[in-house]
Amino acid sequence: MSDIAHHDPVLPSVAAEPSRGGIWRNLAVWGLLPSWLLMGFALLVPIIIIAAVSFATRGAYGGFDWGFNLAGYRQILFNEGWTGELEFTPQYMVIILRTLLLAGTTTLLCLLMAVPVAYYIANQPRHLKTILVYLVTLPFWISMILRIYAWMIILGRHGPMPRLLELFGAPGGLSFMYNDGATLAAMVYTYMPLMVLPVFASIEKLDGTLIEAAHDLYGNRWITLRRVILPLTAPGIAAGAILVFVPALGAVLEPTLMGGGKQMMMGSLIQLQFGGGRNWPFGAAIAMTLLIFVTIVLILIARRAAMREVTT
Amino acid sequence: MTKYLVATALGLCLASTAQAEGKLNLYVWSESISPDLIEKFSEEHDVDVSVDGYTSNEDLLTKLQAGASGYDISTPSQHFLRIMIDEGLIEDYDANKLEAYENIDERWRNQWWDETQEYSIPIAYGTAGFAVNTESYDGPLDSLEYFFEPGEELTGKIAMLSYPDEVIGAAQLYLGVPFCSENPDEMKKVLDLLMAQKPDVAVYSSDNIDSRLGSGEVAAHFWWDGEELKARTNGAPLAYAMPKEGLVGWIDSMVIPKGAPNRDNAIEFIEFMSTPENATEQMNFYAHSSPMKLIQEDVVYTKEKAPELYPEVPVEFSRTCSPQAQDLVTRVWTQLLQ
Repeated sequence: MSDIAHHDPVLPSVAAEPSRGGIWRNLAVWGLLPSWLLMGFALLVPIIIIAAVSFATRGAYGGFDWGFNLAGYRQILFNEGWTGELEFTPQYMVIILRTLLLAGTTTLLCLLMAVPVAYYIANQPRHLKTILVYLVTLPFWISMILRIYAWMIILGRHGPMPRLLELFGAPGGLSFMYNDGATLAAMVYTYMPLMVLPVFASIEKLDGTLIEAAHDLYGNRWITLRRVILPLTAPGIAAGAILVFVPALGAVLEPTLMGGGKQMMMGSLIQLQFGGGRNWPFGAAIAMTLLIFVTIVLILIARRAAMREVTT
Repeated sequence: MTKYLVATALGLCLASTAQAEGKLNLYVWSESISPDLIEKFSEEHDVDVSVDGYTSNEDLLTKLQAGASGYDISTPSQHFLRIMIDEGLIEDYDANKLEAYENIDERWRNQWWDETQEYSIPIAYGTAGFAVNTESYDGPLDSLEYFFEPGEELTGKIAMLSYPDEVIGAAQLYLGVPFCSENPDEMKKVLDLLMAQKPDVAVYSSDNIDSRLGSGEVAAHFWWDGEELKARTNGAPLAYAMPKEGLVGWIDSMVIPKGAPNRDNAIEFIEFMSTPENATEQMNFYAHSSPMKLIQEDVVYTKEKAPELYPEVPVEFSRTCSPQAQDLVTRVWTQLLQ
């Protein structure tokens, strides 16, 4: 089942009808050219520019001069201290680790909440399923910044949430804004649909008879979940995790608006370097470090998924 | 098919000739220019005006440094204007030969940010300091001490801007450290002060200040005089602190970014905004002081109605820091929020 899905649909026909191979190959090359160009210009060129800037020399008042300079990367770990000597400065590593932690927690919470939701939707009758999937995507129709402002009202002083709790005896004038919990709530809310959709897609394809078989072979609910359902839906979970984790690493709005901006995340650190810090090469170096982190994580996930496919 | 194409092409040509003669792209402080004036200019000069906004000088500088912004007019503050002149990011448009120059109030002409006044015509000036919600805080307002080293009443209810620019300036005023200090020991003191204040700070944000302070989500907010004045005039329970240590001053000027596509229209617009009549209308809209000659009897924000705009405490204008001094500022800010 998954074999077919992972092959280029053009290739089998090339093998079946070698006489038409030339035309097909040409189509495959020239037909894809626009998307290659788009990918090249919209994706690769900016990354190459950022990579080049990360090795450039910073300008006195922002901007940069082309050149080869490792100062941007050195600064991630070593900086001049208050005494004027070069010393180990863990602060940027702390920011990077905090960002990874926030993105990881967001992914985990999204996963925990998305699996039951996706499972529920997948087990509904066809017409209801369509409506529910549509409802999951509904928030995307409204600008993200508006939805965050809505959350600021919900959790803020005199907002609906504190009011509701007052009904149950909580003291008046409470505010749930400007802390890590508020950040996390907004993050999970924002990225949840990106997890639900791929997980739903893989649960929907799940063969119900396999679950029955597991029960027939005396597997209890836990074993069925762990040995049958989770392995079969792993590709969807992996896709969802990537879709949530990667953008969560670059989140700026939620930590600043909801969390109060009291602790920097990688996104705001990079922003500071291109703005007030006037150190573009350093900003670019942090961005490249983030990119390398993400790429490593993605490669690891992809390799694990590939190995799983081989063993099953 | 061809017929349709020709018709469409013709239609497009006609449509564009029917449109305004020229264009003008403004990149200015968010909601800083009177929409009525923009409309009036657009009609009088047959020009299509588009307006984009920014909320920090840093955003503007970064955009201009990235090149080819396509904007015709911007309004940087004095310390950034100086950088833009030195870095060749804005046009010399012989501002001192314009009628607008004659309309500048004498005390604002040829200052250090543009000695020859060839690059800029000022449009607004004011201060940055602390505003309070008078329903949540009724304590004294005559010192920065109450905000940087707050007592019970303001604990956990202070908000600062998300950029170091004016915040560090205010901390320096309080500590008596000179602006743009290159002395690490002095700047370490600034960091220590801000670190000690941090537990009492609810949020570092430059957005959505009026609703955050107006709703009582926080009780004190670092803000600008005119914004506080406008919100107070609209009925919000606010007050602007006049600390004895002083306020951080700024003055914004109209400049033309290098390579502006509609330079002539930009100059027309600068002349237009600088007539006493229009400058008065602009001040009545923006609620910040005007550095231009005004029609005094039409000024809405007089000293009686708007004491915010007429501070009697010292006002210290932000300066253009050397790269070393700026690095210290960034270091303070990064360590504060690390």
